[in-house]
Amino acid sequence: MAATAPIFDLKLPRGLDFTLQNSPTPEKYLIETMPGGVALFDYNNDGLLDIFLVNGGHLTRPMQLPEKFDRANPRYWNRLYRQNKDGSFTDVTEAAGLATAGAGNYGMGVAVGDYDNDGFADLFVTSYGKNVLYHNNGDGTFTDVTEKAGVAGGGWSVSAGFFDYDNDGHLDLFVTRYMEWDTKHSKTCGGAWRTYCPPVEFPATTNLLYRNRGDGTFEDVSQKSGIAAKKGRALGVAFADCDDDGFMDIFVANDGMQQYLFHNNGNRTFTECALESGAALSTDGKPLSGMGTVFQDYDNDGKPDILVTVLPREIYALYHNDGAGLFSARSLEAGLGALTAGSSGWGVGLEDFDNDGWKDLLVAQSHVLNNVEAIDHSLHYMEPPLLALNRNGRFEHADSGITIPVAGRGLAFGDLNNDGWMDAVLTVLGGHPLVLMNRGGKRHWLAIKLRGTRSNRDGMGARVRVNRQTRFATTAGSYLSANDKRLHFGLDDSNTATVEVLWPSGTRQTLKDVRANQFLEIREVEQS
Amino acid sequence: MRHSVLFFCLALQSISPEGARHMQAGVEAHKQGRVEAAIAEFRKATETDPEFAEAFLDLGEELMQFHDYGAAVAPLKRALELQPDLDAAHLQLGYALLSLGYASEAIPHLERVHALEALGIAQIETGQYQEAVANLGAALVKRPNDPDLLYYLGRASGLLSKRAIDTLVSSHPDSARAHQAMGENYFVLRQMPQAEQEYREAIRQRPEIPGLQLELGLVYAGAAQWDKAEGAFRTEAKRQPGSAEAAYHLGTALLQQGKTHEARAELERAEKLQPDMPETLYSLGKAASLDGDLLLAEKSWTRVIALEKETSLAAQAHFGLASLYRRQGKISEAQREMQEFKRLQSAIEPPRSEPK
Repeated sequence: MAATAPIFDLKLPRGLDFTLQNSPTPEKYLIETMPGGVALFDYNNDGLLDIFLVNGGHLTRPMQLPEKFDRANPRYWNRLYRQNKDGSFTDVTEAAGLATAGAGNYGMGVAVGDYDNDGFADLFVTSYGKNVLYHNNGDGTFTDVTEKAGVAGGGWSVSAGFFDYDNDGHLDLFVTRYMEWDTKHSKTCGGAWRTYCPPVEFPATTNLLYRNRGDGTFEDVSQKSGIAAKKGRALGVAFADCDDDGFMDIFVANDGMQQYLFHNNGNRTFTECALESGAALSTDGKPLSGMGTVFQDYDNDGKPDILVTVLPREIYALYHNDGAGLFSARSLEAGLGALTAGSSGWGVGLEDFDNDGWKDLLVAQSHVLNNVEAIDHSLHYMEPPLLALNRNGRFEHADSGITIPVAGRGLAFGDLNNDGWMDAVLTVLGGHPLVLMNRGGKRHWLAIKLRGTRSNRDGMGARVRVNRQTRFATTAGSYLSANDKRLHFGLDDSNTATVEVLWPSGTRQTLKDVRANQFLEIREVEQS
Repeated sequence: MRHSVLFFCLALQSISPEGARHMQAGVEAHKQGRVEAAIAEFRKATETDPEFAEAFLDLGEELMQFHDYGAAVAPLKRALELQPDLDAAHLQLGYALLSLGYASEAIPHLERVHALEALGIAQIETGQYQEAVANLGAALVKRPNDPDLLYYLGRASGLLSKRAIDTLVSSHPDSARAHQAMGENYFVLRQMPQAEQEYREAIRQRPEIPGLQLELGLVYAGAAQWDKAEGAFRTEAKRQPGSAEAAYHLGTALLQQGKTHEARAELERAEKLQPDMPETLYSLGKAASLDGDLLLAEKSWTRVIALEKETSLAAQAHFGLASLYRRQGKISEAQREMQEFKRLQSAIEPPRSEPK
């Protein structure tokens, strides 16, 4: 049953004049259908969410070596938009020192985290090429510290995320990489219609894990942590402690193969266990075209579940956390069969858009192939985003308010206007981002900002329970994108809430009779 | 060649000594696999004894062995001029003409010797599909699993079917059956909106035709419009309560929408109507598992494995059992099923450049 009124209004706020330049070519270079990321974060700590958008680059026909992508041209810059008090945005890219994206870097995604615990959110931008870590100087500017930090990586990086895998109070960094591919060794597939090749046509590659030494530098621990022991074709990544052992686990959405669940052994190593855990394949044991992913509790049982967006006829995969590190595929039971069998999903989030106490589903959609309609008349290249409201653990199609089909890719969530209702920003290949402003309503809500003391400063990885709902603090998840670090909870008709926080340090805190409809900062108690 | 050698032995007395020597040398060369030498000897025999039909036949046969069908035609024709009842020459000439694309000319020779497979192929080439189906079908009785025969029979049947449909569409373009046929065509081409339109028109004209709603449902299912598919399958199942296929498709449409209890009921009905259909049993296992009836799920998937053994559906059933046992905390059983799943997966789909 559809909701009676649309949930969002589609806005293009004044000043937000970004166009995602992916530069499609007849050569069908795979990178051109994959960008770009979006981050919602408050870079200047003025209480308003700002927007960072990753751009692709210019592709020539054919590409000349060395690859340059024309990133010095403002048309291809990544952009930072500062939100003004009236809801408009100002492009502060140059002033913030973010105009330089690197000549050989075709932009992909973005991760946000305060890696040096200085109270200012830092940016990590992934690329086909080299990745860049921008340190937030706290004065409205950023400094490229990639070289010093040692996180440039290489190859084709896609989604990334900050998390504290060893609970040492410093945010570490996980970077997914798609495959071994470059423009020189690109090829096309298809018969009469030239298409992008499926991922299996190119060799798999490893993901990257960087351990934060706490001194502004990172150690590449991909090998010794066990992460690099598994090659894949990763596009999405999300973090949560799936077996309640106090250590964050990693879920990686792989394209055209099994998914990976890296269980954190608690000794700075990981064991890949998706197949044995039941989170690797479809209900029918088939590989998935995993793209975006989210690792949150959709059915309010306190355990983080996994949702993966995929290509048509596969059904978005929903792995229910059965406890003890085991999962079962619940896509059909949750209603995703009818909702998603004909769609292609990228960015994804489980957020409570109607504040009824259940996390809803929003997905950026569009097929990979921009000529898919010529090949298969039953499929569509551009699709409107999918909004499905959660009714006691079952998703039902709802009117998002956005009916125009777009080539959606990145998707980030946050409360842009601080009204207590979750908004979203969706990136569109070759187009402007869609800003989905929640129309709001009468239900109550609570937004929580964590302030770690013994744990990392933003409490990333904390498990926060509000009444019957649970969220894991993270900015990661979705596809290529980074979300508002504040934790949002719909309270339905409750005026108050009980809040329980389990910090990464192991500290537990409970707050009772917390007033609804407020932004609450919770500071980690310094002694247990 | 053996027949020819036999004829040769019987006819030795009507051939010159020199011709007989060449024939003998040709036979020896043939036995030793020296095809070119055999051709040369048989050719000399035809020159020495130009009225000796067997010499021409042997030359033609040897040229056929050399895949020189063009060169084989003349001596074979000459053999038949000299001895019109020489069946071996008819057979070889039929093959040669067919190989050269002269199907019409080949047919009388192949008919005479009842070379059913070659005759059927020639009839496909000349558009005699009905006759081709009959002859290839008869040939298949003698060689039931011959891949070439199966291929040509399938091709002949398909062409026959296409011709009938073409006739239908051109002679009765607005009939329900013509719209049904067009719907089938669009469905194959994955042009779902056009397929839907054609089926809807067919149903409007003759709603009583069995299978129309089922086919419309498949169009909706192909476009992932599961609610509409459910409606069409339900109508078909109501109209044909004895159709296991309608019950199966209705069950899968319901399952796809997460209506697990209803799906299970329909799939159980399909299984009752037509027992031991692996696809039905597999889906029944899924529906039962989602519906919480783990015993029925286990029973259904175990039966799939018994029926299918080494197929991808069996692999899926092992995967389902692994999930089911994991949920029940039966870890060793889950591991066993997962091992079987992995084994079958790698046997069925060997990885290409897959990860370590």
